[in-house]
Amino acid sequence: MDRQPLREYDLSITRRQLFGRSALGVGTAAMAQLLGSPLLGSDVVSQADGLHHTAKAKRVIYLFMSGGPSHHDTWDYKPKMMDMFGQDLPEHIRDGQRITGMTSGQKTLPVCPSKYKFTKYDNNDQGVWVSELLPYTAQVANELCVVHSTFTEAINHDPAITYIQTGAQIPGRPSLGAWLSYGLGSMNENLPHYVVMHAKSQFAEQSLFNRLWGSGFLPSDHQGILMRSEGDPVLYLSNPTGVTRTDRRAQLDALAAINAEQHRQFGDPEVLARIRQHEMAYRMQASVPELMDLSTEPESTFQLYGEDAKQPGTFAACCLNARRLAERGVRNIQIFHRGWDAHGNLPQEHESQCKDVDQGCAALIKDLRQRGMLDDTLVIWGGEFGRTAYCQGGLTKENYGRDHHPRCFSVWMAGGGIKPGITYGRTDDYGYNIVDEHGEKLTPQPTKETWTPGTMHIHDLNATILHLLGIDHRKLTYRFQGRDFRLTDVHGHVIQDICV
Amino acid sequence: MIRRRLQSTIVASLFALILAPCVFAQSKVNFSRQILPILSNKCFVCHGPDAEADDNLRLDSYESATQDLGGYHAIHPDEPAESQILIRIHDADDPMPPLDAEKQLTEEERKLLDQWVREGGSYAKHWAFVPPQKSELPDANQANTNPVDAFVAARLAEQGLQFAAPADKHTLARRAALVLTGLPPDTDELQQFLDDHRDDAYARFVERLLANPGFGEHQARYWLDAVRYGDTHGLHLDNRRGIYPYRDWVVRAMNQNLPLDEFITWQLAGDLLPNPTVPQLVATGYVRMNPTTSEGGVIPAEFQAKNNFDRVENLGTVLLGVTLNCCRCHTHKYDPITQTEFYNLFAFFNSTAESALDGNKYDYGPVIKAPTDQAAWDAWQLLTDELTALLENADSQVTTLDSLREADLTAWRTADATERLALLADASGSFKQLEGHSSAIDLQHRFKAAEEQFTTTLVAKELQQPRETYLLNRGEYDQPKGEALEPAVPSVMGSLPKDAPRNRLGLARWLTSPDHPLVSRVIMNQIWIRTFGLGLVRTPEDFGLQGEQPTHPELLDWLAVELQESGWDHKHMLRMLVNSRTFQQSSAWRSDVEDADNRLWARGPRFRLDAEVLRDIGLWASQLLDPHMGGEGVKPYQPPGMWLAMAHPASNTKQYVRDEGTRLYRRSLYVYWKRTSPHPMMTLFDAPNRESSCVRRSRTNTSLQSLGLLNETQRVEMARKFAERLVKTADNDSQRIDQMFRLLACRAANDREQAACVQLLELMRKRYSGSADDAKSLLTIGDAGTDDSLNATEVAAWTQVCATVLASDIALMLY
Repeated sequence: MDRQPLREYDLSITRRQLFGRSALGVGTAAMAQLLGSPLLGSDVVSQADGLHHTAKAKRVIYLFMSGGPSHHDTWDYKPKMMDMFGQDLPEHIRDGQRITGMTSGQKTLPVCPSKYKFTKYDNNDQGVWVSELLPYTAQVANELCVVHSTFTEAINHDPAITYIQTGAQIPGRPSLGAWLSYGLGSMNENLPHYVVMHAKSQFAEQSLFNRLWGSGFLPSDHQGILMRSEGDPVLYLSNPTGVTRTDRRAQLDALAAINAEQHRQFGDPEVLARIRQHEMAYRMQASVPELMDLSTEPESTFQLYGEDAKQPGTFAACCLNARRLAERGVRNIQIFHRGWDAHGNLPQEHESQCKDVDQGCAALIKDLRQRGMLDDTLVIWGGEFGRTAYCQGGLTKENYGRDHHPRCFSVWMAGGGIKPGITYGRTDDYGYNIVDEHGEKLTPQPTKETWTPGTMHIHDLNATILHLLGIDHRKLTYRFQGRDFRLTDVHGHVIQDICV
Repeated sequence: MIRRRLQSTIVASLFALILAPCVFAQSKVNFSRQILPILSNKCFVCHGPDAEADDNLRLDSYESATQDLGGYHAIHPDEPAESQILIRIHDADDPMPPLDAEKQLTEEERKLLDQWVREGGSYAKHWAFVPPQKSELPDANQANTNPVDAFVAARLAEQGLQFAAPADKHTLARRAALVLTGLPPDTDELQQFLDDHRDDAYARFVERLLANPGFGEHQARYWLDAVRYGDTHGLHLDNRRGIYPYRDWVVRAMNQNLPLDEFITWQLAGDLLPNPTVPQLVATGYVRMNPTTSEGGVIPAEFQAKNNFDRVENLGTVLLGVTLNCCRCHTHKYDPITQTEFYNLFAFFNSTAESALDGNKYDYGPVIKAPTDQAAWDAWQLLTDELTALLENADSQVTTLDSLREADLTAWRTADATERLALLADASGSFKQLEGHSSAIDLQHRFKAAEEQFTTTLVAKELQQPRETYLLNRGEYDQPKGEALEPAVPSVMGSLPKDAPRNRLGLARWLTSPDHPLVSRVIMNQIWIRTFGLGLVRTPEDFGLQGEQPTHPELLDWLAVELQESGWDHKHMLRMLVNSRTFQQSSAWRSDVEDADNRLWARGPRFRLDAEVLRDIGLWASQLLDPHMGGEGVKPYQPPGMWLAMAHPASNTKQYVRDEGTRLYRRSLYVYWKRTSPHPMMTLFDAPNRESSCVRRSRTNTSLQSLGLLNETQRVEMARKFAERLVKTADNDSQRIDQMFRLLACRAANDREQAACVQLLELMRKRYSGSADDAKSLLTIGDAGTDDSLNATEVAAWTQVCATVLASDIALMLY
């Protein structure tokens, strides 16, 4: 019989995947999964050129600041708030915004200007104001597009972070990273498609959830793989004690022989897929330690990233790992840094938080630039919402806290098809509402339903990320429960103004 | 180029597969099965149930499709050939769907639409919304009594095919045992079956499996996925939740074969039954299973809405097989369910008594006390039986006793069982003369002692004064619209029984009524999936217009009706499936059948076993498996720091403190389920996180699974205890290998398998004889003690062989 079992396997897998969703609205992404197989020729190894259109970015590194960094104390400079220190936030500014249960009981909502000094750094545009908390990142301001007008509807962490990561506030949907894995496949089969790292923080006060990098209803091999700083970098990577690599080789040979016998008996092409996965695991056991071995990095690397980068699990170390992963063809990398939820003692907490991430962020940008990788690597920095213009708890010039704020927050993006050195969107003098280019209030408030120029709803952010990676967010769908789901629900608008 | 060619090949073969069963040459087009899917998929996005009727054509009913649109009709009622549809779907300049529509019609679809319109364009209800009926069993050539086989054989015959040869007896034993109990058959059980040469040996074997307590443990697991059972609240702090008695109740219900209509009713509304029993109350944990939060600052009204969205959606997935998510914000685009109807369903759940926020509490009330494990449930059951007997006896005496006054009699008549026991046991009361008095005192003590050991479990309770429910504009909790809504059911699925109360109990009555179109089909499909690995409907979560058609529609309907007629007898249905010839076929792929997805059921089931089963098989083979049933979730080995790296510092599940002793070796059903971070060996093999419903797990093959299989602590521990077992029970290599295969595959190894194992064994012997330290390192992995009387080199070498075979398809697959 003239059978080609491996090819047959791929065909059958695809058929099954197709049947699993729509019969006719076949997700091209499913094809990408099929065609991503190196067995079918190297010209189709991955969707590096883009799934729906030419990709500007081949990979993405998402630096997620969990808890909601204060835009007031980092990227959104509001000098006029100084004059209003301690006075009640004007009602027309609050404009009906619902307030979390943590401050809704406060008698007043006193205006709370940032205590930090801002400096204007040159960029390609009007310049960008950066707080003294981010001295390193400020140095690469001319590479960044700082978006001041990101917004969401959620006002609490769990719904908000679930929303920005999965496109829905209620759990159950695939994460951004899982969608990318589904849409783009992998450029290196010896490493996971989608890598997630958790960076250390002194104030790790929010929870993270598997769902934030989970696959939802997508096949579960699209879930993010945790790259850990403790124990095995990838779960169960090391052989048990007393088992060497040679021993494992012998085991895998026996395993392949036994499985081949199963294939002979049952003709089930999936057997061969499993044999291949065992082999890939064996290669991963070599490629991951090689990846994690920083001894080959020159001293200049550590000058760039800081000494912290030698400590596993620090944000700087995660950034360095991210660059090494990117170099090796991992296209989908996310670092979570917790501790940004500064309801009280914001100065103490944010100083520590910014110190954790600042040098690593800047180093990553510079490093990618000097390696010629920034142009096709999209880097994103941001959290799930912003923080209030008013103070939560006691307010002094030196100390204050801020509650959650959904109506505007700052996110920066760089590289991979993003216009460098610009800002996008404006907020009012209180950093409370998004305003138009003339500083006029937007009436009504912008919503996810229709895009308003100058604004970036979190669905717009996700649509833009997919766009830069060559994916049309309206077309990357998966049929589940009779509906073609997508990351951006029925919303999302690509912000062309920030794209090259 | 390669890409394009491949694509077209695939698409072509796809059509062949899809269309082959649907196109009945020359016969009249079948609206429900052939046309409605096209309309739904290609047209309803604009012309469906949610289209604004005034300014947009609707194609979801005959009435609207035949409307006079100013001199023309989409479908002309009198002159079908004049219908606009016929023109527009072929119009090159101004086609429908429009050129920029994402989904275009195929040539085949145009032909079908043409035929349909020319035949009059008549409409019919979507098949799944019409109550199932039993059709005549097809007259197949094979003399079959099993209805499953009759329907399957008829389709095979249409294709000129026959059943595959039956699987070997030993393979069949393994298959049936794994499908029914989630474990291979015990050695004795297997031998008994293999030695039994009576005609009905297999059926007898199946009966023994159905009676095995492992049956309930295995079957319960699927239901727990569906209802998203977890041991934590799921959101934000993701704190501990006291609800495991619910899980144990599900296991009991499965083992006792509680009729599935009652199984459903108790879960939805056990608290609303007259004098509800403890199990009936525990069952209502279903209503409380939604993830909850108590994040600082959240707005209770928002979560009152979200909690109920979740419940309605779960009901939709688990019992109705339709997605209701869309209707939260707008009338369904495809299925005829309106937004108002979504909130009518919502109203059934909106008056439960718990607060919207969980307070991060383990005993997030209302709660009751329930037995802590199966032994306690059994003991409690005995007490209850004793009580029933005692009270029956007392009841017969009461009327004959002259000394009782009318008031006493009234008190007795109006008392429930517990109160009657108290009356009977009261040493100063009027009933002390009854025969059962001293037994009552004793029983009361024993009840008290048992109940003191009880634990907390979350239950549903109805508020005295129901909450009002409104349609929420765009699903926003703070945008109620219109009048308050009554609890009601979607009209396309029938109506509440006339005398049914408008509460959860009425809802349950409706769901389990004989004319409900969906529930019996949906449940039957779930049972089929457990048996065959794939559904008759391949989209078990969606029987709506966008879901897939059943592979064998008449079979599904026949079984659904049979399920009801049998008194919702779960075991009866499983018995019918497992005893079918269809199930017993060899699972080898057939060169004479082009059917990769096994839609014809022309071969037996074959699939990768679930995470839990993989672990249980290893524990069982190594004799580590602890038979203890039920109780609080157990925490086996887990790499350190996994919870801590993610958890909120205030969470009471931030530290994973692993168990010791026998709790490490319980069946995987009992592994503690932290919803934001379930056990990695579970999620690695596709277990869901139980934050939302899962009625179909994916089955992936990944390299990370390979690492887990060969390196995870418990896997290595199993391998070395398995090795000890083999070394102890047989003398030579060949016998040991055979023994290993008998346990894992229910058969001896063949020559090639023997050779592969022997080769590895000899390499490892050589290797470990030169390195005692490595052998020792390997043999001290995991807590289980080592048998020092055995030769360490030998056990280490065998450990490697066992680990390898346990990771191979011999152990991983159902076949």
